[in-house]
Amino acid sequence: MIKVNGEKHSWYEGMTIKDLLKDVNNSHLYAVIRINEKHISRPYFEKTLVPDNSEVFLIPMIAGG
Amino acid sequence: MAEYKMESLKTFNYDRPVIEKGYANQTLCIDISDGVISIKPVTEKMKNVFIGGKGFDLWLLWNAVNSTTKWNDPENAICIASGPMGGTPVYPGSGKSIVTTISPLTGSVIDSNVGGYFGPYLKFSGFDALEVMGKTSKDIVIFIDGIDEKVQIFKASGLPDDSYTLSAILTEHFAKGRPRNISVVSTGPGAKNTRMGCLNFTWYDLKRKRARYKQAGRGGIGGVFADKGIKAIVARWDTVTTKTNNPANANTLKEVGRKHSREVVELDPKQNQMAQIGTTHLVTIMNDFDLLPTHNFQYGQHSEADNIGQEVFRRIFDPGYDGCWMGCTLACSHGVKDFVPLTGPYKGTKVFVDGPEYETIAGCGSNLGIFDPHTIIEMNFYCDTYGLDTISVGTSTAFAMECFEMGLINETHTHGMNLSFGNRLAALEVVHQMARGKGFGQIIGRGVRQMKIIFSRDYGADPDLMQDIGMEAKGLEFSEYMTKESLAQQGGYGLALKGPQHDEAWLIFLDMVHNFMPTFEQKAEALHWFPMFRTWFGLCGLCKLPWNDVIPEDNKDTPEPAKVMKHVEWYADYYTAVTGRQTTPDVLIRMSEAVYNFQRIFNLKMGFGQREHDNIPYRAVGPVKAVEYESRAERYDKQLVEKNNVDITGKTTEEKIALLREFREKLYEKLKDAVYKRRGWTNNGIPTVETVKRLGIDFPEVLELLRAYGVES
Ligand code: SF4
Repeated sequence: MIKVNGEKHSWYEGMTIKDLLKDVNNSHLYAVIRINEKHISRPYFEKTLVPDNSEVFLIPMIAGG
Repeated sequence: MAEYKMESLKTFNYDRPVIEKGYANQTLCIDISDGVISIKPVTEKMKNVFIGGKGFDLWLLWNAVNSTTKWNDPENAICIASGPMGGTPVYPGSGKSIVTTISPLTGSVIDSNVGGYFGPYLKFSGFDALEVMGKTSKDIVIFIDGIDEKVQIFKASGLPDDSYTLSAILTEHFAKGRPRNISVVSTGPGAKNTRMGCLNFTWYDLKRKRARYKQAGRGGIGGVFADKGIKAIVARWDTVTTKTNNPANANTLKEVGRKHSREVVELDPKQNQMAQIGTTHLVTIMNDFDLLPTHNFQYGQHSEADNIGQEVFRRIFDPGYDGCWMGCTLACSHGVKDFVPLTGPYKGTKVFVDGPEYETIAGCGSNLGIFDPHTIIEMNFYCDTYGLDTISVGTSTAFAMECFEMGLINETHTHGMNLSFGNRLAALEVVHQMARGKGFGQIIGRGVRQMKIIFSRDYGADPDLMQDIGMEAKGLEFSEYMTKESLAQQGGYGLALKGPQHDEAWLIFLDMVHNFMPTFEQKAEALHWFPMFRTWFGLCGLCKLPWNDVIPEDNKDTPEPAKVMKHVEWYADYYTAVTGRQTTPDVLIRMSEAVYNFQRIFNLKMGFGQREHDNIPYRAVGPVKAVEYESRAERYDKQLVEKNNVDITGKTTEEKIALLREFREKLYEKLKDAVYKRRGWTNNGIPTVETVKRLGIDFPEVLELLRAYGVES
């Protein structure tokens, strides 16, 4: 089990960020996510595994600077 | 503590007006040449057209200077203003000051938006804006005391030169036991000896019991301050509550303020965590998307970027509340406690460092090939202490380093200094030399534009190559984002009024990552709307971060997620609640348009502000050197083949660079056409008569100026 933006979400062995985002509406708006304290950006979504019991935050990043 | 003396030269008593709906309705003018202090009224017309903040500054400056005024002429003024909402403690990000002057780097008008308590304290003391003109050979301190209703000019002697200790001493000197009542504006020796001096604006950190500061960094404003002979400007004010700004509707203000504050408190921990790590999260994110400038903007990525990213600074920052204005719940202005510099006058001493923010990490770190947080923090500390802009220092040093590595300059020119990328001690030594006005650091301190002239004229370096790799436009050094793959951000930098600073438009993610604006018209629309809305923050005394660095959870379901319209509507309500003037989001844009176009025309008055001045170096557009092309050959080859129908078989890298350049430079010119059209400007980038009439800035001198450039109705 993991948490995504504070809500419980099922987890399976081998789940990548890309897999997780399939369950999220308008997932194209998320180019950056945070797993616990670590930021991961879209180029790494496919190869980054989501660990069990992690807290995932979808970052709607549109600004900066 | 240093032995110092302050001798009063002039005291000017005044009756403090009651603040009405966010305005003091008068400005303070100080001519330090002869010590004349006067008060000017703020008219309804001024409020209608220029709103406040940067708008008031520009109007005062426009009237102070003529078209031939140079940055170091006595008539050049430094204008500092808050804005109608400035000084509101219940709405996040409401304490900014905006500073304008004629810049030593660009020769035209520069503006800088800065935190700290000065702007609100100035307003509550009775002045919507301050203009300081003239010059003096003495070191003077100006004291604006809103509690005792007097303005004083002191002749100072024995005060330290550096801003770090000076801010602390002056805070204590004027505090009468209440240091939170004081805000000090000062600079340091680097500002005297370079063209990239900044101003430090303090606020008092009650928990840490020390004066801390934020910087009005860009364009060398600190240099103008130092050249005038001003040691510091100090404001004193008492307790601040929502009532102090006397808003038209305090209840509505509290309601909308609480909504935005609550949202920040709730969502920032889930999103960027700026209240913990400031803007440092951007380092690794930019690196992942090939947008973090490394080695003078040659590349956007480096394998060691993690060493200077948020995970490191999360551990380094001193935890606690770090709002640069009271009540800001985003509180992103972090610092490093008990830092011990390895070099310079504070070597071996424990100091508190305000920062670093993303720009400093990228400018004084990755762009110099430095991936060591200690060096970056030390550069940050000394730049602030010496009164130097970390962005211009970083970008200028990066340029010098690339010239050194390419053999355009050598150790004979650098006085034996090895300026290779990654040389941490050399980078620090450059900063110390800038402060002393000695050695090669003194040349770097003149900025990229001057270095190009000096290297070519005196050292025989290739001017065309330096033109391509020297990251300045309009004379101002680029801030720290890679733009090669984002045409919209090339425009965001190149078409910005003051030069390439990202505060007008930060469109990289919207354009390159989210692909929200695939067509020219959409890019032009974005290069209209975003600069206008961002300008509005500077008119009102606000910080833009709470607008779009914290995003409502339902934002993604709105028609234009990039604009975060829920917050824009709150800002319209906020404006109405303070000023009593009914407004809507569209009207906010129209307010900014008037000031924005006026600033463009101000550039024209100073001999700039035309199409040719919106050019950018090719490094901002595409790969200049073979190594740059080859490092991303797959990307560039694909573009040549798929977008431009080029048969690349058998072509050398140099041939491909030339072809890509031709295509990309054409696109940039096409973008200029589209943006000028959208903004209501001529094809030469000058606002039309119709535009200035529509915006109510058709003053006789504006029309006369337009006529002189062949723009008539
Ligand atoms: S968000 Fe950060 S920079 Fe803006 S006002 Fe708050 S503390 Fe200052």
